[in-house]
Amino acid sequence: MVQEEDLELYRSQLLDSMSERPVHSVRGLSDPIQVYVNERRVGELKGAETEGTLHVHGVDHIETVQLRTEDGQLLGGVVAPESGFRANRVRLSADTVELCVQNTLQGGSLSAVFIPAPSFWRRTWNSLADVADRWTVRRSESTMAYGFRTVAFTQAILAIAVVGLVADRVMIWIAPEHIVAPTVQAEALRTASIGEIEQLAKQLRELRLMQTKVGEALQSQEKGMTLLHQTMARLSSTQESVASSVVMVKEEMEKRQEGPEREADRPAQLPPGKGSVDQEQFELAIHGLASDNERLSKQIAGLEEHNRMLTAKLQTAIAHVAKAAEQGPERVVAREADVARKHQLLPVVDSRQSAQAQPFLFWVTFSEGTTQESIDQWVNGMKGHKGVQNEGWQEVQILPPPVPPDLFLEQIRGEKIIKEARLNH
Amino acid sequence: MQNTLRKSHIIADPTVSVSRLEEVVATSEEFDQVVAQALPILLDRAAGYTKRFLRETGQWNDDIEHEKFALRWGSEYLERFLVCGRSEVPCRPLFLFDSLVAKQHSKPEPFCYHPDLLKPLGRFLDGLVARAVVSRDALIALYHHSYGWGAGDVIAVTGLNGLESQRIYKNFRRWRESGWQRTMDEMGLTKPELAELENQRQRHRQRFNGEAERLIRVAQGHYRKSEPDHYPCLSRSQWGEMFTQGYGCDYRIWHLALCLDCMQTAWGLGSCGSSAEKPRLELQVRP
Ligand SMILES: [Zn+2]
Repeated sequence: MVQEEDLELYRSQLLDSMSERPVHSVRGLSDPIQVYVNERRVGELKGAETEGTLHVHGVDHIETVQLRTEDGQLLGGVVAPESGFRANRVRLSADTVELCVQNTLQGGSLSAVFIPAPSFWRRTWNSLADVADRWTVRRSESTMAYGFRTVAFTQAILAIAVVGLVADRVMIWIAPEHIVAPTVQAEALRTASIGEIEQLAKQLRELRLMQTKVGEALQSQEKGMTLLHQTMARLSSTQESVASSVVMVKEEMEKRQEGPEREADRPAQLPPGKGSVDQEQFELAIHGLASDNERLSKQIAGLEEHNRMLTAKLQTAIAHVAKAAEQGPERVVAREADVARKHQLLPVVDSRQSAQAQPFLFWVTFSEGTTQESIDQWVNGMKGHKGVQNEGWQEVQILPPPVPPDLFLEQIRGEKIIKEARLNH
Repeated sequence: MQNTLRKSHIIADPTVSVSRLEEVVATSEEFDQVVAQALPILLDRAAGYTKRFLRETGQWNDDIEHEKFALRWGSEYLERFLVCGRSEVPCRPLFLFDSLVAKQHSKPEPFCYHPDLLKPLGRFLDGLVARAVVSRDALIALYHHSYGWGAGDVIAVTGLNGLESQRIYKNFRRWRESGWQRTMDEMGLTKPELAELENQRQRHRQRFNGEAERLIRVAQGHYRKSEPDHYPCLSRSQWGEMFTQGYGCDYRIWHLALCLDCMQTAWGLGSCGSSAEKPRLELQVRP
C-alpha cells in the first residue's frame, strides 16, 4: 500500500515536472548550447552576441538532433528524415538556432547556426557591452561614440542644422541690411513673407521644444549609463575577488593536505553569489536603459517627421518668396549651407566605422586527421573567425598580425595542424 | 502553452484525449496543445512499452523498483517526444509517439539496466551519471560526487584555463541551486532514502564506497557511449601531451568525469601536481 502511494507520488511528480517545463527556456545570455546527434554529444554552439556555427559530418545516419542548456534542459530539436533534407528553426527567447539535417547514402550531416536576435534589444545590449568596454579601457574617449547615441546625436545635429537653416532665412528676412541684394528685392521680401515669417518662427519654437525633450532623454540616458558603469565596476571587482580567492584556495590546498574534509571551494562560493546579485542589478539597469532608449527613439522619430514637414514647408516658402523676387543668390547660399551641413554630419558616422580595423584574411588547409575541435581551438587561439570553405581551403579572419603577411604565413606553416597557408585562395 | 494546461492531467478525460491523439495535427502549436492534455496517457503508454520490453528481454520483476524504472524511462521518451515531435507536423501524435518509443527499444542497449542499479544507491548513481550525459552542470558535479572536490580542485585537476574556469564555477552553482534536486526527483529518490544513503556513507564508509565504485563503473561504462566518438581512453603519455599542449579541454572534462581509470592514469598532469595521492572514490550524496 505504501509502495503504491510512493509510486503514484513519483508518477505525478514526473508529470508535474513535464507540464511545468517552460516552452521558451531561460538561458544565460552567454551560455553555450549543447548539441546532440542521436543522443550523443557532438559539440556546442557558442550562443552569445555573435553568430555561431557547428557542422557535423560523417555520421552514419542521423536520427535525431537535440539542443540542450548547460543544466540539461531540452530546448528543441529535429527528427531527421530517413533520407533527404530537413530544416527546423528553434526559437530560444529572442534568438534562433537553425538546424539543417541531411541524410544521404553516404551518411548524415548537420549544420547548426546560432542566430542572435536582430532586435533593438540585442543592439542595445551590444552597444552597452561596447560602452562598458570603452569605459574600462579608454575612459577619456567621448561617450558620443556609442551606437545608438550616434543615431541620437546625428538626429539632434540634423535638427540643429534645420534650425540653423531656418534661422539663417529669418535673419536674412528680418535684417535686410546684411543682404547685398538690391533694395527693391529686399522691399519685396519684406512685404511678401511676413505671414510666413510668423509661421516659421512658430515652427522654430516647436522645434526648440522638441530639442529640449531630446536633451532630457539624453540626460536620463546619461544617468542610466552612470548607474551601469557603477554596476560594471562592482561586477569586475567581484570577479577580481573571485580570481584572488581562487589563488587563495590553491595556496591553502597546498598548505593543508592533511585535512580530511576538503573545503577548498567554500571561500570561492561566496563571490559568485554576490556576483549574481550584481548581475541582477546590472540587468535591471539595462532594462531601464532599454525603455529609456525606446522612448528616445520614438521622440527621434517624431522629430524626424517634424523635420521633414518643416523642410517641405521651408521649400514652399522659399519657392513662394523666390516668385516674388527674382532668383536671388541667397537661395543658392542656403542650398550650399544645407549641403555643407549634411557633409559635416558624415564624419560622425565615418569615424566610428574607421575605428574598427580591417581584418586580415588568409587561407589554410589542415593536416590529415585534424579534428574540428582542434581547428576551432587553433582559430580561437588567434582570436580569429572562420570564414568560408572552398575546395578544402578554410578562410580565416584575424586582427592584422604584428609581423608582415609573408612572415606571418611562414609562422603559420610551422604549426603542427597546418598543412598549407596562403593569402589568396 | 504547456504552462496554462498545468495540472490538467487530473481532470483530462482519457477517451477524448486518445481519440484526439489519433487525429492529424497540423501545426506545432496544435501539437503542443493536444499533447499537453494527454501527458498522463502518453506517460503510462511509454511506461507500458518499457515494461513489456523488460519482460520480453527477461529483465522484469514485479516490484516497485522495476515499476519506477519503467516510469522513469517513459518520462524520458515523453520529454523527447514533446520537443522533437513539434518538428514532425503534420502528424498523428499517437502513432508518432509509438514509433519513437519503438525506435528507442530497437537500439542495442536502450538503457542502463542492472538489478543493483534499481536500489537507492544504484538509482542515485545511475541518475547522476545519466544526467551528466545531457547536462554539463551534472557532468562537472560528478567530480564533486565522486571525489568530494570543489570547483577549484576540478580546475586544477583538469588543467583548465581562466575562461573555462569561470564556467566551472557557474556549473557548480547551478547544480547546488537546482540541478541536484531535479535529478533526485527524476530518479524518485525520497528524502528518507537520501538520508539513509548519507547515514551509510558516514557509518560504513569503506563498504559504502566499495559498493559505489562497483556500481558507478557499470553506469559509466554504459553512459560513456554518449561521449563524442573520438573520445576513447588514453595512455598516460597521450594524456600528458594533451595537458602540456593545452588542447582537448572538452575531452579532458568529459572523459575524466566519466572514467575512474583514466582519472587514475591522468592524475597529476594538471596544475595540482603529482605529489598528492591518487584519488579514490569518495561518494558524496549532497551537492
Ligand atoms: Zn577512460
